[in-house]
Amino acid sequence: MYRYDEFDAAFVKARTDQFADQVMRRLAGELSEDQFRPLRLMNGLYLQLHAYMLRIAVPYGTMSAKQLRMLAHIARTYDRGYGHFTTRQNIQFNWPKLRDIPPILADLASVEMHAIQTSGNCIRNITTDQFAGAAADEIIDPRPVAEILRQWSSLHPEFSYLPRKFKIAMTGATHDRAAIRFHDIGLQAATNATGDIGWQVWVGGGLGRTPIIGKEISPFVPHEHLLAYLESILRVYNRYGRRDNKYKARIKILVHEEGIDTIRAQVDEEFAAVKGGVLTLPQAELDRITAYFAPPEFDRINETRVDVAREKIVNPAYGRWLERNLNAHRQPGYVSVTISLKPIGGAPGDATDAQMDVVAGLAERYSHDELRVTHEQNLVLPHVKITDLAALYAVLVENGLAEGNAGQITDMIACPGLDFCALANARSIPIAQEISKRFGAPERQAEIGDLKIKISGCINACGHHHVGHIGILGVEKKGTELYQITVGGDATETASIGNILGPGFVAEAVPDAIERLVDTYLAARTTPAETFLMAYRRLGDAPFKEALYGAD
Amino acid sequence: MAQTSTIATLMAADSVREKRSLAIMALNGLYDEMDAAGVLRHAVAEVLPGDIAIVSSFGADSAVLLHLVAEVDRNLPVYFLETGKHFAETLDYVETLKRQLGLKNVRALTPDPKDVARFDPDGTLWETDPDSCCHIRKTEPLDAAVKGFGGWVTGRKRYQTKERGVLPHFELTSDDRIKINPLAYFSDQDIADYKAKHGLPEHPLYDKGYKSIGCAPCTSIVADGEDPRAGRWRGLNKKECGIHFDFNGAIAKPMVQADLTLFKAGAFIADPFRAYAEGDDLGSVRYTHIPLAVFRANRDVVLANPHPNGLLVAPGDRVEDVAADLARFSSIAVAFPGFTDGRGYSSARLLVERYGYGGELRAVGDVLADQIPLMRRCGITAFVVKHEPTRAALRAGTLATVDIFYQPVGKTEVPLGTRPYLRRATETV
Repeated sequence: MYRYDEFDAAFVKARTDQFADQVMRRLAGELSEDQFRPLRLMNGLYLQLHAYMLRIAVPYGTMSAKQLRMLAHIARTYDRGYGHFTTRQNIQFNWPKLRDIPPILADLASVEMHAIQTSGNCIRNITTDQFAGAAADEIIDPRPVAEILRQWSSLHPEFSYLPRKFKIAMTGATHDRAAIRFHDIGLQAATNATGDIGWQVWVGGGLGRTPIIGKEISPFVPHEHLLAYLESILRVYNRYGRRDNKYKARIKILVHEEGIDTIRAQVDEEFAAVKGGVLTLPQAELDRITAYFAPPEFDRINETRVDVAREKIVNPAYGRWLERNLNAHRQPGYVSVTISLKPIGGAPGDATDAQMDVVAGLAERYSHDELRVTHEQNLVLPHVKITDLAALYAVLVENGLAEGNAGQITDMIACPGLDFCALANARSIPIAQEISKRFGAPERQAEIGDLKIKISGCINACGHHHVGHIGILGVEKKGTELYQITVGGDATETASIGNILGPGFVAEAVPDAIERLVDTYLAARTTPAETFLMAYRRLGDAPFKEALYGAD
Repeated sequence: MAQTSTIATLMAADSVREKRSLAIMALNGLYDEMDAAGVLRHAVAEVLPGDIAIVSSFGADSAVLLHLVAEVDRNLPVYFLETGKHFAETLDYVETLKRQLGLKNVRALTPDPKDVARFDPDGTLWETDPDSCCHIRKTEPLDAAVKGFGGWVTGRKRYQTKERGVLPHFELTSDDRIKINPLAYFSDQDIADYKAKHGLPEHPLYDKGYKSIGCAPCTSIVADGEDPRAGRWRGLNKKECGIHFDFNGAIAKPMVQADLTLFKAGAFIADPFRAYAEGDDLGSVRYTHIPLAVFRANRDVVLANPHPNGLLVAPGDRVEDVAADLARFSSIAVAFPGFTDGRGYSSARLLVERYGYGGELRAVGDVLADQIPLMRRCGITAFVVKHEPTRAALRAGTLATVDIFYQPVGKTEVPLGTRPYLRRATETV
């Protein structure tokens, strides 16, 4: 994985010092809260309901054991013993004190981490496939380009005060695990007519109060011109994106209002002026960065198959875990392992300091010192020998990390909600916990199969509810928290936005409502291979609407 | 005189503008209000030795200053604006004073004949456009003359008009020269007493009721109790001829550090520019930032305006629309109406990088400490700053910045040391 050189280290040091100075000026009263806000946001510091919240960047979701241990240290020393992994592959701490922020940032800098641009109206952490560099279905490893984009976007002087935040996601695989169609810019590895690999570019996707699926702006941009192309998009957005209304300021609105053809023409005009200039990426540099992401030295393994069927008989829990939590690796004899942060009845995405230390140890021992954060709020050990799985699993069991539910109904995304967030209208985590308990039985989950539930505590949609197969949106009506249910969302390459089927439910009624949807699906599916989403697409709203609200 | 020599060193060292400005403030505190000779002697001997000129109208009160000059050094250059429009009595008076005071170096400044032929062929410009008349007969010749000096001495006095009410002994002008006003604190009575004490000859017209004497067509008699300068340009809303105006038409004010909002080249300096105001005559304004939309609507008029002017680029303005005319402007102001509005960064980069604008590029509006480093990288070199903590940080040079960059931005940022890959790529070339 990427390692800082002197330049990167000096950069983060300078940025940390700069923010320490800004914190001092805020504490001294030289900066008003209005003036301080964008500065702290650009350093990942939010003011939440109860306290400051610090969001730390995990660039493209990749970490080393040493880095995760530092996060554990921060959780222990400055917070309440846990951290929360986010849908942007970052981690946030909910209870730091303002005066502790500079030492936290200094600690992070010591392990090549920072909180730069995890918030604010700038280019945010670039996210990607959690199985990057490991997945069997990958065209290229997107992380070298992601790292180059990280560098290009860090403290970009022109794009630090955009109309609104700007999120880029990329995937090097054919199956989109990074929700690229719901980002301001989505990059999909593509091959052109002459067989070169480059990037298909999507623009103007997003969730929030106006969910929109991104539109293709270019079918193919070669690596060498990608920075110039992205700078062109960002410049058009910076100049023409709406600033009169915060809720209409994302690029998706600009694309929607102007039309993709107009935006494409503007971007092309800009690109024509910028292309071939200083932003041209030399192959030598791409090669240099790619070398950092060279695959580890894999062992030759004679065994290349895990006998899941056998294990399900011998040890059902282990068997289920093997069935759900492994992803095919491009190296025979290896798999990528998802470590679920969705224990039954737990808060999605939370990990304690002790659990982080344990996972760090596992990464060192079994995954070439590498681990990933997923946008679905789990952790991944990307390179695990199948012969190590049993030993690895045993450690997970001891530490409450062995839930074999990846991709199942209890593997939910949920935002922090009203328990933490100043923006939220309703609680999210308790809803997730209740649903988790309701469907916690492994047999029940196995019967249901692939089903993604995503929960947001407000219209800003941090919990991606629009793209949940079942989405739950907390709203507040006349002092009561109500939950709107949507069906049919999909964050992958077959992207769709869920439909609202009717009025909202009070919190206590949500698990029943979900259960009725699930039962309707189970009764209607043609075979167990027909997933909830497939069944919904075949059947439409009607049976699910009836399940929720009864026949007309 | 340890203190004064420190000041002299500060000023002579040609150090940054801010030091000069501070030194000026210190100088103003050194002399008793009435110590005109002390002020002049110090200016000539310590502040600008060999680099100073005197400007005199040879008007009603000029004898006092010229007497002081003669006392200090008879060889100092004394400029007289020979506008061609003086009373014959004034020209006589020049000769009288030269003779009586022993001035060895009186030089007449005459208008450029080309200007006169072009703008005042029949000699009636004073009637139709007195500002322009002053401009070609006084401002232009004097500007040319004082360019050769680091400073000049005037006979201006605080009491003369209310516009001059705060005149100090020493001023720093916006073109970085020092103006010395030894008589700043002299009252009408002090002048009369000085004249009497030293037996100085009176201007021949003084006894006829002329209290302030300029060119014949524009000078009239002042009634008892009237402002002595009321007889100048009587009936017109005009109080000064232009030689004591600053660039933008406002009367040159004494420089007080707190009033300076333009930060450029490491110091707060006087700002020659003003903002455009509704109703400005675009054909004649000068040192004005004309909004881009106004410029586009009046392009021909502005392009025909002979004066230096600037352009104001607001968020949302398309700089490509004026790309061909950028060279017309000596300054472009990029507006940041709120510090969170980042459109100006794109405007600045386009102006500099794409359209090759090479003049002063300044940020105006909500300009704060933490945005200035970004603005600089986008090509902005001057900042109009009102936020006091930001001003303090700029003065002290303590802006918190990140000085190494990943991405190449701007024309001046060499890739070397900026983005790692370019750095390495460059090394291998």
